[in-house]
Amino acid sequence: MSEEKQIVLECRDVSVRYGDVVALSGVSISFARGRIHAVVGQNGAGKTTFARAISGLVSPDTGEIRIDGRALPSGNVNQARQAGVELVHQSFALPPSFTVAEAMQFGAADGRIYSRRGLERRWQTYLDSLNVKVKAGQRIRDLPVETLQSVEIARALVSDARLLILDEPTAVLSPEGAQKLFERIRHLKDVGVTVIVILHKIREVLAIADTVAVLRGGLLVEGPVECSGIDAEKLAELIIGPAARPLEEDQKAALTGSLDTAHAHLAQSVDRATVEPVLKLSAVSTRHDSDGPPLEDIDLVIRPGEILGLAGVEGNGQRTLVRAISALAETSEGKITIEGLDVTRASLQTRRAAGLRVIPFERNVEGLSLTSALWENWSARELLQRPLLSMVRPSELRQRCGTALDAWEVHYSNVTQRAGSLSGGNAQKVILSREMDEQARLIIAAQPTRGLDIGATAFVWDSLNRARARGCAILLISSDLDEIMDICDRVVVMLSGRVVGTFTPPYDLADIGAAMTGVSK
Amino acid sequence: MDDVIIAILRSATPLVYVTLAGVIAQRAGIWHLGLEGLMIAGACATILGTVLTGSIFSALLIAMVICIVASILFWFVVEKLKANQIIAGLGLTGLGLGGTTLAVESIFGSQAAVTAPSGLPRLGAMFGAYGTLSILVLLMPLFVFAVWVLLCRTRFGLRLSAAGEHPFAARSVGVNPGRMRLIALMIGGVLCALGGAELASGSLQFFSQNMTAGRGFMAFAAVIFGAGHPIGATFAALFFAIVGAIGIRAQLVFGERVPHDLLLALPYLATVFGIWLSARLRGGVKAVTGFGELRDS
Repeated sequence: MSEEKQIVLECRDVSVRYGDVVALSGVSISFARGRIHAVVGQNGAGKTTFARAISGLVSPDTGEIRIDGRALPSGNVNQARQAGVELVHQSFALPPSFTVAEAMQFGAADGRIYSRRGLERRWQTYLDSLNVKVKAGQRIRDLPVETLQSVEIARALVSDARLLILDEPTAVLSPEGAQKLFERIRHLKDVGVTVIVILHKIREVLAIADTVAVLRGGLLVEGPVECSGIDAEKLAELIIGPAARPLEEDQKAALTGSLDTAHAHLAQSVDRATVEPVLKLSAVSTRHDSDGPPLEDIDLVIRPGEILGLAGVEGNGQRTLVRAISALAETSEGKITIEGLDVTRASLQTRRAAGLRVIPFERNVEGLSLTSALWENWSARELLQRPLLSMVRPSELRQRCGTALDAWEVHYSNVTQRAGSLSGGNAQKVILSREMDEQARLIIAAQPTRGLDIGATAFVWDSLNRARARGCAILLISSDLDEIMDICDRVVVMLSGRVVGTFTPPYDLADIGAAMTGVSK
Repeated sequence: MDDVIIAILRSATPLVYVTLAGVIAQRAGIWHLGLEGLMIAGACATILGTVLTGSIFSALLIAMVICIVASILFWFVVEKLKANQIIAGLGLTGLGLGGTTLAVESIFGSQAAVTAPSGLPRLGAMFGAYGTLSILVLLMPLFVFAVWVLLCRTRFGLRLSAAGEHPFAARSVGVNPGRMRLIALMIGGVLCALGGAELASGSLQFFSQNMTAGRGFMAFAAVIFGAGHPIGATFAALFFAIVGAIGIRAQLVFGERVPHDLLLALPYLATVFGIWLSARLRGGVKAVTGFGELRDS
């Protein structure tokens, strides 16, 4: 009986289907009270679906979820919240125009008429008691991500949560922010809250969790097992699965977040300082616009055969920088040159003719037209460079597209199928095959591996390395510091639209993290 | 001076009620272009109801029921059938304009206007010169205040706004965004019925075809001009009404020297100006991202 009482959450044979896709398949698992449980898996393993199912946002097709031994009606958020289950989303679920106080109030239980000042005073006290440093009158849209996350956690705790689920909470945080989050999680455990934290990095799992469970392809493959009884190597194997080849070095690095990958290629690099840079930004500034802070006085040089990493907490001007380079944001001051050609006022067409290629942030929005055929997406680069009235011969383009996609190992059935029908990894390969052609001189790779599984991630890294070997200059923007430290020859850090630090190997995670958060050394 | 203020209140009151309906819908994530249709349905139902039942209160009740039913239909098309809001809203407006004409013709034959035996209760002699105004004019500030409290000072208002702005956030605290939109549109239906009733039966006592003359769209413009805030949108509606009253006064002053069509167009020009100004103040295109799409993710 006492054993039974210790179980806070139990799932019995839970399956969730989205149309034809099985996101969770027969998951039976139970979690003990008062501990920190990690759930890990690759992208698409069903982690987020799992989190949403237990919090009532998604109703399972089969199976049962029991909280404290009582079955939860499926897909009912209110019932789940009453039972003390709260979910903190990966991309936060707070309306941007709300003030912090309003965001707290709209999830709370009492519904009396309030005055603005009374509301702010009440929630300020609450936020202070949780040690969340934010003004209750501030608007959600003005908050940096780390504060936003704290607010979201505070919101989740309003209704006396006994089971808190955090969906990939570290994805948006700097290393230092992640440390603070972990302290907060440990504190919650001390006051008796059970925490389920969804992660994808083994290093973080071993740092925070008491037990770990592994999801792969919608199935529970292990767990929950005590973290003390498992090591990174074993966990990595569980995540990838037995069918996988022996782990490639960089795949393992991607998972475990090891920092010791040798920068072997550095030895062969010539003395770059003497080579004419491919991209040169001199004191570039932009005007303020709605998509993040403007650039201020950016100096940046990328030479042939160099991968420059751009690190920083998201929303510190990385997107503006990409838009400035690709002629989407106007440069108000300074000068941009590509291959020695002044392109400060040039159109994107001119810049692309000079060798600029972009792998954009949002592959499904900026990178591909999901409703268009593969060959149309693939031909866009070439067709846009042609004169306005040149003849388009679809059959020839289709054929060449097929050849190119085969060469890039894209899994597709027909070049006329819609781009939206491809998986994330294959969609990204279509973009790579378009943007990393022979004439490419400068490749902007913005979050090229986000949302990809280990295999596709390794493929992207390999492609970037080959482009480097060909003498391309590459700007890699990533929020994954491990990725940046593993494959970049040099790293710059952006903060509030400025470059605040330049680092060369061997990298020190703490130094880069400090620069990202603006902690002066 | 009194007559100017009376003229302003007369034209402003119907507009404010309908504007409030638009504000509530906008908060819930619906750009309500069906306001015109609901307003004329309310106006027509009030007059026909008075003629047929002889009681203004039964007529008001009928008008509200019709507008609520039409709002539920609009909700169903937008929410359940996933139609584009703009198209569906314009459809509702078309239905209102055509349906009221049809109703008048089928009951009274081909008649341009229907006159009712009585109108809304008036304020009476104790209000002096203002006694000829209807009670809905007096109640108007109360409605504005009530909507403001509801939207900006209760948790219901927060949930309504969340349902419009970030449906996923609403769902994750157990709010059903679709239901919030239904409630918002139903409240809007009642307000449109009141607006229509005041227009047809507040100072006049008749209904004629197309008598709303674009006031529903003007209310929609007031919602945008007022940034979706009940007080702001009310002032925008008042502004449009004041410009309209100035136009009418100007006709008396200028006589034949200025074409009177031009002066009658003043409120509409003011509307265009208001939209332009609010676009300038609030980053233009940014404000209409996803215009007409139900946000649901």
